[in-house]
Amino acid sequence: MCARNSIYTNPKPCKHLADYKLRHGFNTYDSIRNCLKTTPNRRTRVAKHTTKIPRCSFCDRYQGRLYFCLMCSSLWCPTHILLHTQSEKGHEVAIDMDRSELYCCLCCDQVYDPDFDKIVLCNQVKDLPGGSKSKTNRFEASGERSSKRKRLDSGIGLDLKKSKLLVSMRDRRAKSCYPLGLRGLNNLGSTCFMNSVLQALLHAPPLRNYFLNDRHNSVQCRKRSGEKLCLLCDIDAISSAMFSGDRTPYTPAHFLYSWWQHSSNLASYEEQDAHEFFISVLDGIHEKESKIRNSGKDDGNCQCIAHRAFSGLLRSDVTCISCGFTSTTYDPCVDISLNMDTSNLSSSNANKPIKPDEKTSASTLSGCLNLFTRAERLGSDQKLHCQNCQELRDSSKQLSIRRLPLVLCLHIKRVEHSLVRKISRKINQYMQFPFSLDMTPYLSSSIVRSKFGNRIFTFEYDNSNSSAAYEIFAVIAHSGMLESGHYVTYLRLKNQWYKCDDAWISEVDEGIVRASQCYMLFYVQKLLYNKANEDSSFVRISPSRDPFESTAGCS
Amino acid sequence: MSGPNEDNNTQLSSHIFGDLLDSIIVDVASECHRIAKLGLDRNLEEEEEEMRLSAQARARVADPSNSSETNTKYVVDIFGQTHPSVATEIFECMNCGRSIAAGRFAPHLEKCMGKVIPISSYHISICLYLSIMIDSYYDREFCAIP
Repeated sequence: MCARNSIYTNPKPCKHLADYKLRHGFNTYDSIRNCLKTTPNRRTRVAKHTTKIPRCSFCDRYQGRLYFCLMCSSLWCPTHILLHTQSEKGHEVAIDMDRSELYCCLCCDQVYDPDFDKIVLCNQVKDLPGGSKSKTNRFEASGERSSKRKRLDSGIGLDLKKSKLLVSMRDRRAKSCYPLGLRGLNNLGSTCFMNSVLQALLHAPPLRNYFLNDRHNSVQCRKRSGEKLCLLCDIDAISSAMFSGDRTPYTPAHFLYSWWQHSSNLASYEEQDAHEFFISVLDGIHEKESKIRNSGKDDGNCQCIAHRAFSGLLRSDVTCISCGFTSTTYDPCVDISLNMDTSNLSSSNANKPIKPDEKTSASTLSGCLNLFTRAERLGSDQKLHCQNCQELRDSSKQLSIRRLPLVLCLHIKRVEHSLVRKISRKINQYMQFPFSLDMTPYLSSSIVRSKFGNRIFTFEYDNSNSSAAYEIFAVIAHSGMLESGHYVTYLRLKNQWYKCDDAWISEVDEGIVRASQCYMLFYVQKLLYNKANEDSSFVRISPSRDPFESTAGCS
Repeated sequence: MSGPNEDNNTQLSSHIFGDLLDSIIVDVASECHRIAKLGLDRNLEEEEEEMRLSAQARARVADPSNSSETNTKYVVDIFGQTHPSVATEIFECMNCGRSIAAGRFAPHLEKCMGKVIPISSYHISICLYLSIMIDSYYDREFCAIP
């Protein structure tokens, strides 16, 4: 049985290691404590013999791996270490000198011990520039764990008590065998980019709940701000219409009018980019909220519904190649734009039928995320100033996610620019994406841990795994060419997928969604997803507004 | 042809190369061993399942004998409704008060709000600028085009 915490498994030591530790107690690793040396790329070696070349005590070999016996500090090559163990009782545990990994000679296998890892880590932190003062390198001893638990709800669960007017609709007109909130949107003239994003936004659990809980009251809003233009009011109107039970397609004309006034640079009758529209809407919501609250708060702590739902924090580590000094910065984000993880971009391959076992140049979401969090060596024309070396140095940059948002929007960059020919082209390559996504490997805690060789320790802000588990609820798919394509949204409600193609809503099999060409993926934290599935059988009826009135064009 | 020295050098270099290769292989094996033992790659099975489902789905969609849902023209939606290709719902424009059909609202509003942009190189360069902006959005703060 392995002791298991939420981040990793504490591996059970083999019998020999356990015996060894029992015998030596606190002095177990004394012999090597002062012999460890860490290089700038965080590789720790045993370097006891600084003048002599380390050689095997039996065959004098100096090439290849050598093991350092913990008991008597003698050195052995892999072939002859067993000889040593057999001749000397109690000399069962050794260290791989090159990698600082424990090796049990009788089990002939690498073994792991948190106490040993702690010593290695201390050495790494000590040897790296910035030392233990650097926030980057701070960590707690394994066993202690931060008891901070992120508040999952942030107050945006569907509050059944507060919404006094919740009624379970049995109206036949509501066609209640289908989930409420499912309703087509009329295309106003090349506005499928807008309809697709609206469908995804309105069904994002935090936003859906926000509007169903009447958190944005239009009457009060108009009184307060005196302005006729409020994107939130318009979205609220659309939300009410979507959840009213009326299934005829809704015309979001007033919203278009408001949005064009807000983003006048994007106001034109032509196909726009859905991702750009998404950013613009979130921006509009944020602007309005920050005017109301008069806050100059940065996006990291903003409490507007857009940021509460979508805002996360990215961490960027820039490391000097020469000395290992790392400088860390944090930036808030409302989504993550991913480059595709394959270089085979010839569009002639895009439409060939795929055999199920064909794996060449397959693009996957995890591949794109790996690319996003990969340590990237910056070119020598991009040397940065290292504080430690006091000079311009080659560096490497690595991104990771410090704090995950409630709703994770992943944008797949499908535009390819040819600077030579000055044209842009769409990448039609299929990208596999999962319905259940575990973001743990892309968290800062995981990335930083792997930088330190995955040693056993508890990072200062390890989140429990449950908040890194996501479920997909919407996919925006694009078909066609760059400037004349078509967007549709696939929505997942109560484990059934629906295709929202402007005014047309149809049921589709999950296979259709999996095989679609995704452009934007919307995931929500698993706990919220499960809650949302339970809550969606209710509808809100506002006494002041007739939900069945067609509100296209009215203010 | 090649003297004893050159033979030696070749042998030496392949020896060194062999050592380097061994060292790299051991590095990777050791790292993977640690990752596996500490359970840091726990989700391998779920990931493989997702990949399999996706491959299966693609094969089904690509199979011409399947009636692909994506390719059929819509007859009725799930609520039993039909919709014309251009939305016909009529309402009043909030800018000028005229009655407009929903499907033609956007082009009307554009002219109505005075935002007609003639097709020109300016238009094309805006499109290119927008697509570059999409690309570099992550790298900088979002700012409106002046």
